[in-house]
Amino acid sequence: MNSKLSYDIIGLGLFGAVILFGVPAFFSYDGFELNTFARYLSLAIVSMALALSWGTAGLLNLGQAATFGMGSYAMAMHLKLKASGDNLPDFMGWNNVEALPALWVPFNSLTFTLLAGLLIPAAVGGLIATFMFRARIAGVFVAVITLAFLVAFQLLVIEQQGFTGGQNGLTGLAQLELFGWTVDIYATSFYYLVGGCLMAALIFGLYLTHSKFGLVLRAIREDAERTRYFGYNVANYQTLIFCISAGLAGLAGMLYALVLEFASPTYMSVSFSLAIVIWCAVGGRESVLAAAMGAILVNLAEGRLSDVFVEGWHMMLGVLFVAVVMFMPRGIYGVIVDAGRALRRRGGSEEFAETPSFDTPLNTKQES
Amino acid sequence: MKRREFLGRAGAVGTLGMAGGLSAPALLSSVGRAYAAGDDIPVGLLFSLTGAVAVVEHTLHDAALMAIEEINAAGGVHGKQLRPIIEDPASDPATYADRARRLMIRDKCVSVFGSYTSSSRQAVLPIAEQRNNLYWYPTLYEGRECSRNIMYGGALANQQQDILIPWLAENFGSRFYMVGNNYVYPKEENNYCKTLLKVLDGEVVHEEYVPMGHSDFSSVINRIRAEEPDVIFSTLVGDSDVAFARQYHAAELDPAKLPVCSLTRSEVEVKAIGGEAAAGHFSSAPYFMGHESAENEKFVEAYKSRFGADEVTHFVSEAAYFQVYQFKAALEKLDPSNITPTGIRDAAVGMTMTAPQGEILIDANLHTHLWPKIGQWQSDGQAKVIVQSEERVAPKPYAAYPGQECTGAGLVKS
Amino acid sequence: MDVVLNQIFAGLSFASILLIIALGLAIIYGTMGVINLAHGEFVMLGAYATWALQTHLGLGVVTALPLVFLAVAVVGWVIEKVIVQRLYTRPLDTILATWGIGIILQQAVRMGIGAESKFVKGPEWLSGNIEIGALVMSNYRIFVIFLSIMIVTGTWLLMTRTEFGMKLRAVIQNRGISECYGVEAKKVYSLTFAYGAGLAGIAGALITPLFSTIPTMGTGLVVDAFLVVIVGGLGSLVGTAAAAMLIGEVTALFSIVINDTLGRIAVLAGIILLIRFRPRGLFPADTRR
Repeated sequence: MNSKLSYDIIGLGLFGAVILFGVPAFFSYDGFELNTFARYLSLAIVSMALALSWGTAGLLNLGQAATFGMGSYAMAMHLKLKASGDNLPDFMGWNNVEALPALWVPFNSLTFTLLAGLLIPAAVGGLIATFMFRARIAGVFVAVITLAFLVAFQLLVIEQQGFTGGQNGLTGLAQLELFGWTVDIYATSFYYLVGGCLMAALIFGLYLTHSKFGLVLRAIREDAERTRYFGYNVANYQTLIFCISAGLAGLAGMLYALVLEFASPTYMSVSFSLAIVIWCAVGGRESVLAAAMGAILVNLAEGRLSDVFVEGWHMMLGVLFVAVVMFMPRGIYGVIVDAGRALRRRGGSEEFAETPSFDTPLNTKQES
Repeated sequence: MKRREFLGRAGAVGTLGMAGGLSAPALLSSVGRAYAAGDDIPVGLLFSLTGAVAVVEHTLHDAALMAIEEINAAGGVHGKQLRPIIEDPASDPATYADRARRLMIRDKCVSVFGSYTSSSRQAVLPIAEQRNNLYWYPTLYEGRECSRNIMYGGALANQQQDILIPWLAENFGSRFYMVGNNYVYPKEENNYCKTLLKVLDGEVVHEEYVPMGHSDFSSVINRIRAEEPDVIFSTLVGDSDVAFARQYHAAELDPAKLPVCSLTRSEVEVKAIGGEAAAGHFSSAPYFMGHESAENEKFVEAYKSRFGADEVTHFVSEAAYFQVYQFKAALEKLDPSNITPTGIRDAAVGMTMTAPQGEILIDANLHTHLWPKIGQWQSDGQAKVIVQSEERVAPKPYAAYPGQECTGAGLVKS
Repeated sequence: MDVVLNQIFAGLSFASILLIIALGLAIIYGTMGVINLAHGEFVMLGAYATWALQTHLGLGVVTALPLVFLAVAVVGWVIEKVIVQRLYTRPLDTILATWGIGIILQQAVRMGIGAESKFVKGPEWLSGNIEIGALVMSNYRIFVIFLSIMIVTGTWLLMTRTEFGMKLRAVIQNRGISECYGVEAKKVYSLTFAYGAGLAGIAGALITPLFSTIPTMGTGLVVDAFLVVIVGGLGSLVGTAAAAMLIGEVTALFSIVINDTLGRIAVLAGIILLIRFRPRGLFPADTRR
C-alpha cells in the first residue's frame, strides 16, 4: 500500500469528522449557521476541482467559474420551471418570448437536470481541453484561453435575456424535490447533503491523485515533453482531468444555486473565477483536501471579518493573497508539511530525500 | 511503512481541518429569538460600500444612516434607539443574499434597508418573503413585481414617463433613439415608452443595449448621427451613463436640437459627467436637489454638513432618507411589545408624510405615490425643474400590461 | 458608407487607447514573462493622478502627462522591487500576485480618495470636431491617436537606439549571458516595469475626459489589453500595434453589423481561435531565452 495514501485517508477522516459532526454540533444544529456553512462547503467543491487540474496537472484554468455557472443554471432552470408550473417562466414574458425554448424543455425532468449539471460542464470542459491540448497549448496560454472563454460566455448569458434572465439571473425558484424529499435549505439534512457531496468529491479526488492516472498527470506537470517521450498521450490525460474538474465544478454550481436560491451571471465573473484560484492557492493546490479547506477558511474569514472591517477587508484579502503567493507558494498545506518535516529533522533522522518541491516553475518553457 | 512520516502528514492535514473547525468559536455570534426584544430596535443597512455599485450605494447608505441618527438623536422610537446593523454586500448578488440572511435570520432585524440594482433586489426577495421580513428598496425600478415584503420607495415607469414622453414629443419630436444597458430595467422602461409613443404616433428609430460598464460609445454616437432622431431616450446607468454623456458632449451634439433624456441620470452622475457636458439635457425624477421646499432645504443642509459641502443628494438618496422616516412613523403606530415586520408593513399602508419632494403616500400595493418632475441640467451640476406634475401620481407596477394590477391583496389578473 | 467611414474612425480611436494600455503590458510581458493583472489599476492610478493634479494644481490633462507618467512609474518601480522581483521564476504565480496587488491598489484609492466617480475636465483647445463630408472626427480623439503613434515610435526608438534598449534586448534574449557581460538584469527589469506602468498611467490620463474615473475602472480594461498582447505576439511592438488596430477595428465593425455585445463575443471567439492556431501571436519576435 502506498504510504502517502494513508496520510491522506487519515486527513480526510479528520476533515470529514469535523465537517459532518464537529460543525453541526458546534452550531447546535442552527439552521441559519449551517446554511451559511453549506455555502462554504459548496465553494470548497469548486476549489478542490481546480486543485485537480491546477495542482495535479499544472493547468491553470481561469475559466472554472464558467463551468460552475453552467451547473448552477442547470439546477436553477429546473427549479424555475417547477416554480412556474404550467406557465412560462415570468422573465420570458418580460422578454417577449412566446413559447418555452427547446433548450429549457428537458429541464422539466429532474434526472436530466442532475445529469446535465454534471455532464454539460464536463463536456464543455472537454471540448475546450481537446481544442487546446491537441495543439499542445500550455502554461500561460491555457490561462488566457480559458479566461477569454469565461468572458465571452458570461457576455452571452447576459445577452440572451429571454433564455437566461440576463443580468438578474434566474430568481424565484421552487424548492428541490429529490426522490420525494423536499429540500429545505435551512434543515440539517440539507447541510448533510452538501457535506456528503463534498466528501464524495474529495474521496474521488484523492482516488484520482493516488492512482496511476494521477501519477502521469504529475509527470506531465513537471515535464510534459518527457512524459510524451515515455509514450503517454499527454493531450488525452490533460483533457480527461479538465473534464473531471469541470464536472465537479458543475456539481458545486448546482449546490450553490440551491443554497442561494438563485443563479446569477456573477457566478461566471472574472473576479469570482480568480477568487476560486485564491482559495485554492491559500489552502494549497497540491492537495484536494487542502484546497477545499482553503475555500472554507477564506470564506469563513470573509464572512466574519468583513463585518468588523467593512472597508479594510478587501485590503486584507489583497495583502493576504500577495503574501501567500510570495511566501507560501504551496499554501497553508505546504507550511504545515514543511513544519512537520523540520520537526522530524530536529528529532534526528531524516530518512529520505526531500520530495520534489512544488515551487519549481510550473512552466518556465514558453512556446519557442 | 514509515511511521514518523505517517504521523507528520496525518498531523498536518488534521491540524488544517481542526483549524477550520476551531477558528469558528471565537467568531460565532449570538442568535436572538424575538423581534426587537432588547433595549433597542435592530435595523439592517444593506448597501454596497465596495465594488462597482458603491459609487451610488454609498450615498444611499449615508442618507439612510443620517435619518437613523436623526431619529436616535430625537429620542428614538418608543424610547428605544434604532440600532443600525451595517453589512457590505460588495456589489455582488450572492453576497447580498448571504448578508440579507444574516440580517433577517441571525440578527432579527425588523426591517432591512438596501440596494440599488434590480439584481440585488431579486437576490434578497426570496429571503424576505420566506422569513416574512420587510425590505425597504429606495430605487426607481422596472415594476412588474408585487411582493408583500418589499416597500418600494422609488419611481415606477408610469411615474417617470407619463409626464415626460408627451412633453418630449411636443417640444422636440417623437422620433426616439433608445439606448440602455443590457438588463431588465432598460428593457421594461422601453417597453412602456413604446406603448406611450404608439398613442402619440411616435416612432422608435433604433433601440440598443450595451453591456453593463460599457465605456466606448463612438459606435453609438455614429449611429445616432446616421439615424437623426429627435430625442435620445437613455436608460444607461452609472459609469456607462457618465462615459456616454462625456463622449456625447465631446462629439459636439447639441442638446438644444437633440437632447438626451434620461430616467436614471441624477446629481451623482452629473457630478462625474461635469456640469458643462450635462448642461441642457433632461432627466425625469420625483426629486431634484434643487427642488424648493422647506423639507428639502433641511435635508440638503443636514446632508452637506454631515458628509461634506460638495456632496449631493439625489432622487434615490432622498427615498433612502424618507423611507427611514416612514419606517419610524409606522413603528410608532405599533404596540412596542409586539413589533413584527408585517406589523410595520400594515401600519405603513395608507400613511402620508411630507418628504423633501412633497407629500407622499404609501399605496396598499406597497409602492409610493410620488411627485413627478422634469429637470433640465445646468452647468453648475444642478437641475432646474421645468415641469412639475400638478398632482401626486399613483404607482402602477403593471402599467405596461393591461389586465394585471398590483393591489393590497397581491397581483390581480382580470 | 458614411457609417462605415465613421466606424473606421471609431475603431481607430478605440484601438489607440487599447494600444497605449497594451504597450506597457506587452513590454512587461515580453521582457519578464510577467502577466501583470494589476496593469488596469495602473491605468486607474494614472486617471486619479490626473484628477489630483487638475484639482489641486490646476494642470490640464495634457500638461499633466509627464507628471502622471513619473508618478505611476514610481509606483510600478516600488511594486517591482518589493513583490514582482521575487516571482520571476514562477510566471504563473505572477498572475495571482498581481491580481492581489490590483485589489490592494483599488482599495487604497477607495479608502484614501473615495468610491465616487471623479470629474476631470478635458482640454479646452482640443474640443470640437473636424468634419470631412459626413465623416465627423473629434479633435480629442485625433490627438489620442497621434499621441499613441508617438508613444509607439518613442518606445521603439528607446528599444533600438539607446543603451538601455540594447541592454533590455540583451536581457530578453539571454539573461544569463547578458549578466556575464555586466548587464544588471535586475535593474533593467525594474526600469522596464516602471516604464510599462508609466505608460499605463498615460493611458489612464488620456481616457479621463471620455470615461468615468472610479476605483474599478481598470479591471475591465486589463482583459482587453492582455488579449491584445497575446494576439500581437511576445515582445513584438509591431505585433502589439497591429493587434490593437485589428481588435479595435473588428470590434467597431461588428458593432454596426450585429451589436456591441455580440460583437465583443465574436472578437473573443476569434482571439481564442487565433491563440489556438498561432499561439505565438501575429508577429512573434524571433527569439526568447
